[in-house]
Amino acid sequence: MKKIRRRDKMKIYGDLLRELHHRPKDEKIVITQIQRKTNVPFDRLKAYLQELLDLGLIEDDTSLILSEKGKQYLREYEKVLDFMSRMGLYYR
Amino acid sequence: MPLYEVERISLEAISAIVCFILLKFMIRSYQATGENRYLGLPLGFGFLGASYAFSALSYSQIFSFSNWGWIQLFIRGFAFLFLAITYYFSKSEKNVKLLWNTSFGVLIIMFTSLILFAIFSPEISRSDYVLYYILIRVVSLLCVFYIIVHSLARHVKKPESTLLAPLGYVLLAIDQYSSLIWVVDASYFALFVGLLTRLGGLVLFLLIAQRTFFRSKRKGE
Repeated sequence: MKKIRRRDKMKIYGDLLRELHHRPKDEKIVITQIQRKTNVPFDRLKAYLQELLDLGLIEDDTSLILSEKGKQYLREYEKVLDFMSRMGLYYR
Repeated sequence: MPLYEVERISLEAISAIVCFILLKFMIRSYQATGENRYLGLPLGFGFLGASYAFSALSYSQIFSFSNWGWIQLFIRGFAFLFLAITYYFSKSEKNVKLLWNTSFGVLIIMFTSLILFAIFSPEISRSDYVLYYILIRVVSLLCVFYIIVHSLARHVKKPESTLLAPLGYVLLAIDQYSSLIWVVDASYFALFVGLLTRLGGLVLFLLIAQRTFFRSKRKGE
């Protein structure tokens, strides 16, 4: 399994996974919508989605459903955001 | 042996331990976000823990070093500066990488210079020490006040966030104020009120971490 090397990528992965996980289940995936919500350029978004797949955080690149590992990563990410919010910090 | 030395050493040591436990959660937050502007959080709590540990060491007189007081004074002062700039930069919507890096770089250079000064300088008079002590504590108080206002504003914008954090910082501010009274008036009452309220503040932060990381973990299991 590959390791996440660049630390600032963790935020992008977290935001992407959050967006993918919280979208309505019956909603058709529109890449441009994800791009707009996560504020990532289209070409880089495609690359990030491929990286999420390589890391085993999503099951495949068509359904973009989170794998168990992806859900675990997202849980940790959301806990950290919650902690920062409780500590009175902003996170954008 | 000076009065209440065992009690002082114990409270300083317990505060240091609580800070180092908190440091683990702060590192976790910094790693998950991956943003430099949150680096001040682990640095701030790490420095606070180190300063309490140095205080305990200086009271216990395990290592004889005349400038312990200066070292713990600078470390604690910079701890609050790091925390304050983290809160300041967290609200920024623009890309603040360059500004953060510059501020951080300046603080690190200042800190290193002051620590070297504390280690290699000749004996400094007691009156000079008291003057710098008051100055640094006042700056620390201002930093804590800024953090209190910031976290209260955050609470107003997002009421579901807790009031424990601003309350914790209020207790740390009381500690800073009490230490000012202690150095001017040598009041043991002020000293112990400060030590106990500080410990209370740190325990509140620990409670926030416990509620966030462990309660939700049990829920998820």
